[in-house]
Amino acid sequence: MSKLLKRALKISLTPAILMVAGKFLGILIPTLMFDIEFAVQNEMIGISSIQILYPNSATTLFINSISNLVMLVLIAVPTIYLIIKTSLYQSTLQNPRTIVKITKLNILNWITKKNSSFLQIFIWSSFLLVTASIIIVHTIQNMTYTWIGVSSGVMAFFCIWGTMRTFELEIAKIYPEEKNYY
Amino acid sequence: METRKEKTKRIFGQILEPFALGLLALLFILPAITVINLTPITNELKKLNVLGVTTQGDVVINLVGGSHEIFTEEILNKIDDEGYDYSVRLNKRGADSYSKPILKIENRTEEAAKIFFFGQTLTNTNSTISMIIDKEHFMIQNSKGETFDNEIEILPGQNITLFLALENLSGIQFSEIFDLSIKIR
Repeated sequence: MSKLLKRALKISLTPAILMVAGKFLGILIPTLMFDIEFAVQNEMIGISSIQILYPNSATTLFINSISNLVMLVLIAVPTIYLIIKTSLYQSTLQNPRTIVKITKLNILNWITKKNSSFLQIFIWSSFLLVTASIIIVHTIQNMTYTWIGVSSGVMAFFCIWGTMRTFELEIAKIYPEEKNYY
Repeated sequence: METRKEKTKRIFGQILEPFALGLLALLFILPAITVINLTPITNELKKLNVLGVTTQGDVVINLVGGSHEIFTEEILNKIDDEGYDYSVRLNKRGADSYSKPILKIENRTEEAAKIFFFGQTLTNTNSTISMIIDKEHFMIQNSKGETFDNEIEILPGQNITLFLALENLSGIQFSEIFDLSIKIR
């Protein structure tokens, strides 16, 4: 089995668990916090075998929005962190001004190659894309607040852009642009 | 030169590779399906079912089902939030009495629920049709074809089974459709 596949499997576990945990906690916490009545039903409706029922549509909208927001934050924050970290690391290799800025901000230890790679960013961004797609579909179906849908769309867009940027930087290391030689 | 151990490891790795790819795909698909599954819904959405229907007040009506020589083609349809239609084909039969459990009604609310039912056949075959609930008879249509409205009360948490009873003094050579309207208040 290839090392790439093994690594991809290892990296994918964390966002997969976080995605489900985020949704679950996002339902559980506000339900307990606001003491909202709910029921659980087991019935086969399409691909859904379990239904969490709330007494009215306003409550359902609120709980679904919060759970989607928690899920989005849990996936988006590490993704953005990885993108910024890798971009800054790549930038420090090419631009001395970045090193100066980073030294001034005293975050030199933070910018390391450790635990950040294109594969990791790609997988986390893919999970973010899946999460954003679910949230956007829910927004279109009026099952989530519009601002959460818009936020997830914007975040997904920037993360895709960040991933592409990282990919370009990684490629530039293997195939440097000609102008860099002169 | 490749040793035996290395060769086994390489072949094993090659066999595992497609499974690992499948597993990787599942790692993306399963959380997505789980998240969709966990999406909360409003209680009202539950009422969209046709058979084994739940009403707004959580009065559950279920078909008993099963097979019977005389009572066939049973259908339970939801008309609106409180109304249901039950229909059954009464097949040709000899002069006798017949009965079959047709519906189970459960009151899951904390208040007593009133059930109104009214039924008739399209053609009169001089049969007496009644409903039996807890050994009590409720006439629905007499042998002259006259129909009667009925009302029963179900206490909170009570579970009742409705039996459809049929009696005719002469043999019936043709099948007929019996329709029953049920209203829950």
